[in-house]
Amino acid sequence: MAQPMADGAEIPIALAQIATCPGQLRHNLERHLVMLDLARKAGARLVVFPELSLSGYLLAHGVLELAMAADDPRLAPLYEASRELTILVGLPLREPGGGISNAALLLEGGELRGIHRKLYLPTYGMFDEGRYFVQGPGLQPLECSLGRFGVLICEDAWHLSSSVLLAQAGAEAFLVMAGGPTELDAGEEPAGGRRWHWLVGATAITAVRPVFFANRCGWEEGILFGGRSWAVDARGRALAETAPALEEALVTASYSRADAAFARTLLPIPFMERLDLWRTALERRHA
Amino acid sequence: MRELPAVHIPLLAEALTRFLAEELRASGLRRYVIGLSGGIDSAVATALAVRAVGPDQIEALALPGPTSSPESLAHARLIADGLGIRLEVLDLAEAGRVFASTLGIGEDRLRLGNLMARMRMTTLFDIARRDGALVLGTSNKSEILLGYSTLFGDAAASLQVLGDVWKSHIFELGRFLGTPEVVVAKPPTADLWPGQTDASELGFDYPTADPVLYWHHEGGLARDALVAAGFAERLVDGVLQAYRRNRFKWRPTVIARISSSCINVDRILPRNPR
Repeated sequence: MAQPMADGAEIPIALAQIATCPGQLRHNLERHLVMLDLARKAGARLVVFPELSLSGYLLAHGVLELAMAADDPRLAPLYEASRELTILVGLPLREPGGGISNAALLLEGGELRGIHRKLYLPTYGMFDEGRYFVQGPGLQPLECSLGRFGVLICEDAWHLSSSVLLAQAGAEAFLVMAGGPTELDAGEEPAGGRRWHWLVGATAITAVRPVFFANRCGWEEGILFGGRSWAVDARGRALAETAPALEEALVTASYSRADAAFARTLLPIPFMERLDLWRTALERRHA
Repeated sequence: MRELPAVHIPLLAEALTRFLAEELRASGLRRYVIGLSGGIDSAVATALAVRAVGPDQIEALALPGPTSSPESLAHARLIADGLGIRLEVLDLAEAGRVFASTLGIGEDRLRLGNLMARMRMTTLFDIARRDGALVLGTSNKSEILLGYSTLFGDAAASLQVLGDVWKSHIFELGRFLGTPEVVVAKPPTADLWPGQTDASELGFDYPTADPVLYWHHEGGLARDALVAAGFAERLVDGVLQAYRRNRFKWRPTVIARISSSCINVDRILPRNPR
């Protein structure tokens, strides 16, 4: 059973950058178990997997075949593993009232601690998520023995308001799960990896919270994903080496709740957000 | 003048290599089968496949037809030797002549060219069935956009590893992968009849056409904006005409939808479920 951490303790967080295959649940689950074993050996207390890590990303209508409820028996190996270390895993979640969410489950002590459902479903360019998933209803930090985490799934993080709202709701750090496709250009790393690096850094320093970013890598249905999982503290200092772009990797970063608390006390930037400007914008939109 | 943006060639090679490794794993099959024409596209695709799955998992075939240049076969051997793979030669010349005669093709070289491209496709898919393999395609982005291929012939494959790579970059990729210089440097040809080259048929070569295609297809510049950017009117019109005229080849089959579960419209599903 996971034990609560003292505030001054360093919490090793592992970012499991895996390559998944759409529709091959057994293969994907095996990648999870391999990474969990590595994370356990590395002393991690929390393991963050990428977006839709269990099912693969480019499912399209395959979500109808692969969506599962949070108590699906196929998740048993992950619930079991969560008795030793906390797990954040991504999957298409079958909602009891109908619809399927692009969701993250936080598992700890063999139990479900919380669910985040993706808020922003990209439906443009190569993305078509709005066709297959229903939007998440709201943003709340997920709580476990290790702290209060704001979970953001991929495009959630591209709207900086998400991190502001989560910070105001009490999130102490962000866990970003991404399935970020990428193109190649003249750079030595895929273009998507560069963009995510900027975005993760901007999220950390504007919301003054550490960010732990787990992206997927590999190919699905002809689409390349950009890896480069990374972690950064509230002031923009790297907490880990950036993972490679093209191959699976486990990145371990050290999270200090005490350092995070000190930084956000010193710099209450998200609490200075001018919500009255948001209200004005909303009123103008609905006028 | 607007140019074709550069791409990081070593990263491109590494990414495409991993693509080929993953596609074979996901398919559950064992090998790649590929037609080695003696040209740069198939040389590069084969080199990537060798890096991805090893030389023993590659079934390379040379498939000369009635009008193929002997030089093409010599170059195919050169490429195979350089990559350390075995090259199987299946001479389709006689079968091609018989089939052409049965169809009454006569001197129509375009029909004969298309027929031979489709006979090669038939051969590759048959060998793939025999060996439990995927057919590795060799089409590149430039020729796909221009429609410079035979539908269900050289355009048909299990996967197109170079299908999003501009021809201009394939020359760079070829040099990076150690493709023999004689293959990289020779004018691209479909070798469907003696003396044929892509440039003589299209009216422009790929390094000239690629920037126009890029700035139209990806950069969003319409015809007049391309001309204003400095591209020759004749070039722009020639490129855009092919780009529009042959677009049906991009999606070769359209299903008439009469239900709410039409394949690839209402039901887009992963290709390799397990």
